[in-house]
Amino acid sequence: MIRFSLNGLEVKAATGSTILEVSKNMGFPIPTLCNLEGLSSMGACRLCVVEIENYNQTRLVTACTYPVTEGLTVRTASTRVIRARRMIIELLLASAPQSKRIQDLAAAYNVRQQRFRQEYENCILCGLCVRMCKEQMAAGAIGFQGRGQTRSIGVPFNRKSEQCRLCGGCLYVCPICELRCTYTEPEKAVCGGCANISPPCLENLGFDDMMCYMEPCVACEIKKE
Amino acid sequence: MKKIESITDFYLLRDHIISDRPEGLSTLIIPAGTCGQASGANDLIRVAKKVILEKKLIDHIRLRITGCHGFCQMEPSILIEPRNTFYPKVDLGQVPLIIEAAINNEIIPQLLWTDSETGEKIERQQDIPFFRHQSRTLLASNEKVDPIRIHNYIENGGYQTLAGLLEKGKPDAVIKEIKSSGLRGRGGAGFPAGLKWELMAKKPKGNGKFLICNADEGDPGAYMDRSLLEGNPHSIVEGMLIGAFATGADKGIIYVRSEYPLAIKHLMIALRQARDLGILGQRVLGTGFSFDISLVKGAGAFVCGEETALIKSVEGKPGEPEQRPPFPIDKGINGNPTLINNVETWANVPVILAKGAKAFTRIGTPNNTGTKIFSLVGKIKYTGLVEIPMGMTLRQILFDIGGGQIDNREIKAVQTGGPSGGCIPEKLFDLPMDYDSLAEVGSIMGSGGMIVMDDHSCMVDVAKYFMNFLKDESCGKCFSCRKGTQRMYELLDDISRGEGTVEKLKLLEELALVVKDTTLCGLGQTAANPVLSTLRYFRDEYLEHIEARKCRGKVCKDLITYRITENCTGCLLCIKACPEKAISGKKKELHQLDESKCIKCGACLSVCKDNAVIII
Amino acid sequence: MLSEIHTSYGYLSEKALRQIADVTGCSLVDIYGVVTFYRSFSLKPRGKHICSVCTGTACHVRNAPGITEEFERQLKIKAGQTTRDKTFTLETVNCLGTCALGPIVVVDGQYHADVSIPEVKKIINRTRRNSSSSRIKPDNRIFPVTVSCSHCNHSLMDKTLLVDDYPSIKVTASFGRKHGWLRLSSLYGSYHVESEFEVPEREVVHFFCPHCHTEMAGAVPCPDCEAPMVTLLVRDGGVVQICSRRGCKYHMLDINGAIL
Repeated sequence: MIRFSLNGLEVKAATGSTILEVSKNMGFPIPTLCNLEGLSSMGACRLCVVEIENYNQTRLVTACTYPVTEGLTVRTASTRVIRARRMIIELLLASAPQSKRIQDLAAAYNVRQQRFRQEYENCILCGLCVRMCKEQMAAGAIGFQGRGQTRSIGVPFNRKSEQCRLCGGCLYVCPICELRCTYTEPEKAVCGGCANISPPCLENLGFDDMMCYMEPCVACEIKKE
Repeated sequence: MKKIESITDFYLLRDHIISDRPEGLSTLIIPAGTCGQASGANDLIRVAKKVILEKKLIDHIRLRITGCHGFCQMEPSILIEPRNTFYPKVDLGQVPLIIEAAINNEIIPQLLWTDSETGEKIERQQDIPFFRHQSRTLLASNEKVDPIRIHNYIENGGYQTLAGLLEKGKPDAVIKEIKSSGLRGRGGAGFPAGLKWELMAKKPKGNGKFLICNADEGDPGAYMDRSLLEGNPHSIVEGMLIGAFATGADKGIIYVRSEYPLAIKHLMIALRQARDLGILGQRVLGTGFSFDISLVKGAGAFVCGEETALIKSVEGKPGEPEQRPPFPIDKGINGNPTLINNVETWANVPVILAKGAKAFTRIGTPNNTGTKIFSLVGKIKYTGLVEIPMGMTLRQILFDIGGGQIDNREIKAVQTGGPSGGCIPEKLFDLPMDYDSLAEVGSIMGSGGMIVMDDHSCMVDVAKYFMNFLKDESCGKCFSCRKGTQRMYELLDDISRGEGTVEKLKLLEELALVVKDTTLCGLGQTAANPVLSTLRYFRDEYLEHIEARKCRGKVCKDLITYRITENCTGCLLCIKACPEKAISGKKKELHQLDESKCIKCGACLSVCKDNAVIII
Repeated sequence: MLSEIHTSYGYLSEKALRQIADVTGCSLVDIYGVVTFYRSFSLKPRGKHICSVCTGTACHVRNAPGITEEFERQLKIKAGQTTRDKTFTLETVNCLGTCALGPIVVVDGQYHADVSIPEVKKIINRTRRNSSSSRIKPDNRIFPVTVSCSHCNHSLMDKTLLVDDYPSIKVTASFGRKHGWLRLSSLYGSYHVESEFEVPEREVVHFFCPHCHTEMAGAVPCPDCEAPMVTLLVRDGGVVQICSRRGCKYHMLDINGAIL
């Protein structure tokens, strides 16, 4: 058992638990995007950052990947943490405003605007689909490609995948709710049928064509300006 | 080559090599690292060999081809031993004369170095200001050693330290020596090497313990690791062997970036020769100690210089960094204990064990001992590699060694530490160059890159350049790094094109701080440094771009205009050079530049001999 | 493995990657991820000549972007692309480590220092010419060597057949099932060869002394391509070693005794 301090409380936890797990058990909310129970942790979205103190040094680490250690001090909602989370949400809105998950996060943290150049991307590279395909469905049909700005998720050489069993797991876990698998005949792919945007398997639509049921929506507000 | 079966045999071989050395001959030393070759050293070598063969001088002079000596700007150069005569920028036609003079123990005064202030000729390399103020422990070996001959390394004392340790030394004593020397990692972070070694030694053997030499020198502007690898690869091998002896490691890997082909070649030759001689492999020098080193090539990823990314790259995976803890010492390659040190750190190890930790601490300052090689490049008179004792001030390096500014410009700032570092403004030039002082001013030592900028450099452009580099090299895993670097670049681009606003500047700063806080690895955490340090010391330049739409460094293309003045003599050169045909005019008449067609490429400026092209 | 295949073929084809997946048991998805992560690997065939412009910081302050743009203008392609006739590929590299001599351009392994904008065109033209030219121009740096067999010391020079207008070096060569004479140019640095049978590219040839019939193999493999090296004694002292693989340009003239 490990003893450590969580938001001022003395807590005991099993060895090998992550800060995220313990915080959830204790009822402290930490937002996540790329984390799902049953899949390995990746630490890609950086939303779950918390402040830890070790040997008089404080830094932010992702709660989903950091294992609890003896004598650790953790703060899940300090000023520094909130500031970081709000900026990350702003960046998320700047890239994928059409996602309901991201809009909900923005509402929860009172982010009413984003100040960057607006992009409309379908993927935030959270990797949930890749992990789902590999770990839960044991297919491994899609993977990360490229690096940095050209990083994407897809099938090698954009050819039809022999491993893909059309299970739809990737669609199910995706926080943006867009089709990930670059299947060569999109209309035959299994459609997740999410309610807030038109069928995702068709070509990339412009923002104007997307149906949005949230009102008022952050992205709409920006478009009005 | 016969394998050495015992330590006694090693000493016998060494004595044999030394006694075989012909006495009384002058040696012609030609530095031919990648820089040297780019400047034409290969031609010099060819002609030298030709002259020696044709005139049958093979018993009258020796020829030694080495790696970089450091004064790259003056290459191709020739150094003559034992007088240490230095001939800079040698022409092919001068080679036969130099050879003849060397044989007769004479010098050719008109080819010597000329002091730019006094005009006097200086013969010996060590008297030239560029060299005189340096403390050349490592670079001096580059002059003495032919990197592709292991016997040459042994002749100069190489592998003796190893032999001595294998014969009488104890691993604990070695670690103690490294700790008391205060050697700090030369790759950038400056973590005490002795501490790392101590932790590694305590690790159980398990499935193997790995030593890695991080030769993925990705910092643009830094190339001292390259010169060490090309010029004295055996020093790294010996360093790693000593490290393996001290920490109980059994496998070594040198991870070298693929952009260094000559370094790779020399390393492969060195490793093979060491194996053939029995210095690497099973039963080193006939003792019970075994250690071998293999070479792994990088493939064009700056992020693989980061420890955890490097390990993944060695394992054959994409080089995405992982969170620490667990640290590589606990879980490295395939989960085994792994110790990673930089090239220069390893190169210092044989030096420390040979001369003793105390001697090492006498150079430098407390807590920052020893020497450091910096690559002094940019807008400075003498560019090249300089090895200085830690604690020397920046001003001394720039003016005593580097010769100061060029073209009567003002030196505005010096960028240290590559893309992870920051800019140091002129008013702080009396800063001592050591890990702690640099961190205090918001920069880092990094791997030792030192880029000098004068008033024709724009600090916004510098920040933008580094952000462009970082956004390309980011591995892309962390959202905040990938998007953060991209957005910072966009904001800097806006500012440099005259579309900046005060709000955007505020956003840039906010974003920079969050990126610094929330990313996983060193690349992201230090990505904000170029922005934050230029904002700290050069905020007025940023504001000038925003409010006055002016770039005082005359770099940002959207904010400058090219113009032809009345100095123009009508020579037609710029008209021919202009790729957009934006200049018109007849011979001997004032040429006209059409600003609407001008793409500001700078071709006209570079060909004009009358100083008639200006930028406003 | 990826690196070696990339060096041999100039790029990684889909077929090659699928084969690697079969042989190693790694999934194609993972291999593709690795290949696309690293910049040095190219999935498309590259041009005959590869021009790399260094965009490191020191080169940047010396106008490397201008040089890149000039290359783009001259070759009519963007950085990262190959010309339609597949002769040139242009790429930018993040620092080659020759910072004191910026801006640097490397073409086919040859470094060009301190490149100015007007020089770009000259470099391109020179590269085009060199690949088609076959005459060695007389030059201060090119000179003939007189060699003999390292075993029997008999001269290998042959005045009856000149190569590059100088006496050639005559040896007996065998590769595969073929066996016959081979004559090398005695001009140090020339790769001109005349032989009884056509030698295919990349083929490793066994060299024998025509007088004592011993195989003239050195102890050390070629640092560039790992093929055995051939050792020849130079008359006035010193040793020449050349790589025995057709097309490999490695050679070394040692005047202080052979590299052991």
